[in-house]
Amino acid sequence: MILARLALQSLLDRKGSVVLALMAMSVSIFVLLGVEHIRHQTKENFSSSVSGADLIVGARTGRLNLLLYSVFRIGSPTNNIRWETYQTIANSHHVKWAIPISLGDSHKGYRVLGTTTDYFQHYSYGKQHPLVFRHGRAFEQVFDVVLGAEVAKKLGYQLGDELILAHGVATTSFSKHDDRPFTVVGILASTGTPVDQTVHVSLQGIEAIHVDWQQGVKMPGSNITQAELEQADLQPRSVTAFMLGLESKMAMFRFQRAINQYAQEPLLAILPGVALSELWQMMGVLENTLLLVSALVFVAACLGVSAMLLSSIRERSREIQLLRVIGAPPYFLFFLIELEALLIALMSCILGAGLLAACLVFLQDYLVSHFGLHVGVNFLTENNLYLLLTIILASAVVAIFPSFSGYRQARIIKS
Amino acid sequence: MAIELMNVRFHYPEQPGQIVLNIPSWSLPGGKQVFVHGPSGGGKSTLLNLLSGLFIPNGGQVEILGKRLEQMTSRKRDKFRAKHIGYVFQQFNLIPYLNAFDNTQLANRFARQKKPASDDEIKQLLISLNIAEKDWYRPARSLSIGQQQRVAIARALVNKPQLLIVDEPTSSLDSTNKDAFMALLMSIVTDNNITLVFVSHDLSLARYFNRVESLSDINRLDG
Repeated sequence: MILARLALQSLLDRKGSVVLALMAMSVSIFVLLGVEHIRHQTKENFSSSVSGADLIVGARTGRLNLLLYSVFRIGSPTNNIRWETYQTIANSHHVKWAIPISLGDSHKGYRVLGTTTDYFQHYSYGKQHPLVFRHGRAFEQVFDVVLGAEVAKKLGYQLGDELILAHGVATTSFSKHDDRPFTVVGILASTGTPVDQTVHVSLQGIEAIHVDWQQGVKMPGSNITQAELEQADLQPRSVTAFMLGLESKMAMFRFQRAINQYAQEPLLAILPGVALSELWQMMGVLENTLLLVSALVFVAACLGVSAMLLSSIRERSREIQLLRVIGAPPYFLFFLIELEALLIALMSCILGAGLLAACLVFLQDYLVSHFGLHVGVNFLTENNLYLLLTIILASAVVAIFPSFSGYRQARIIKS
Repeated sequence: MAIELMNVRFHYPEQPGQIVLNIPSWSLPGGKQVFVHGPSGGGKSTLLNLLSGLFIPNGGQVEILGKRLEQMTSRKRDKFRAKHIGYVFQQFNLIPYLNAFDNTQLANRFARQKKPASDDEIKQLLISLNIAEKDWYRPARSLSIGQQQRVAIARALVNKPQLLIVDEPTSSLDSTNKDAFMALLMSIVTDNNITLVFVSHDLSLARYFNRVESLSDINRLDG
């Protein structure tokens, strides 16, 4: 108690240098915790984005590319798959369910995904959570649209609202399907996955808006009405990719090989989990570099605190002598300086964590809109608590140098 | 005897050839007050550090209140000093960022007595030393030199020491404060039967003592 009070008062007495040390350390802890939290959240977001699909099939390309564009809406597909091919595979006796995906259009920067109602029935995320409608229902008509939670929230859409899709995936598009508006019939509950940022329409809807388009441009003179389109045969000619749920996990590798060797069309089937592991392996170097840089920033701050304490020992020689005279043993001085370092580390942890919490609250929307990152505010995970504990221990270790210097000075009292 | 020194020799570790103190024999009975004078740099503070157990002699015996300090472990000496010896310096008597009350209490906590002084006892002590209540919770550095010296006495007395060591306490005080300080100090040590070793180069203070010694008579560097 006496030690704690003395340490605290001593720090308060040296406000100027202590505040600077606190700032340096708080910022380093903020960076360290922030990097670790974003790394953890990104990984969790990615890992939980798709959980039910056994295989994802697309045109032959890289495994990661297929995973990224089909699940995370990042990047572009190299080619499409013929509808007949999709049907042949989807109707195989190994397949329990299949979800076709058609990409290529967008709405105000959000990707449009053409699919079937099987998507709402079989797609799952996280720990096998199915998609849930917060409002409305799945699409039934050609020009029905179901919005992800974030699209509806950000763009302020409600059931019954009409929206126009744009050709291509750029945020600003000059080729719009403005003569064929879609009506919002459903809004999904938030999932924390790319589903939240997706505009879902039927495959027929995708076909319908491209009926009189060629090479990404609307053909001049076409005057097919929306009513006519709703009655027309809108059988899709191709899809971008599809997800498969299999009857038996045992058949997974065999079926994957069969798809990869499909003679009629060059296809690639991937296991989402394996592709994700590959992604982490690739990201591992970047992650480790970021962590290393953060750790070095922290070490620099620790050394700064240590240097500050060390220089204070010289200024405090009379104080040390006085403490010795009134009965303080040398180890008291050792623990006093250790405690000062620990208090700085503890306060820095609180400040750094507080700063991070504030940033997460205020920057949450920015991270979602600019990086598609859903980063939760609660960063006090088990990992980060261990990290904080390590930070405090590291501070105690680094403070051994000034503490020992104080101890030595306490032992060698000069006249 | 409260203090008994026998064949004490001391030199600083970094200057082994230069003997600072050589005291063949010196003693002081319990409850007595002695004034030791000598020039600056003559070894007065070194003598006091030996008496308080902060320094250990290179040879000889230092017996304080019947205990041989040089035979104690460092930890035991620290405890002994905290419990039985009060110390007042020329300056820097207080931890500057602690207030008068905390400075006094701090010394009491280091003594680790079975029954530490209560807050009321510390307040009574501060009152008895004419320290106004408004100054109890001010940081020591904001007190005047005279106030600081009085708080230093309070700190030195809080553990009811049997031996009080005072090192040039009046050098920073004007004559009025000096007399007031000496009167207060002498009345306390007399009332409480405390053995006092008072070191100063200011011979005008000798009038307060019935035993006055020159350090050069105690410290025989020529022999």
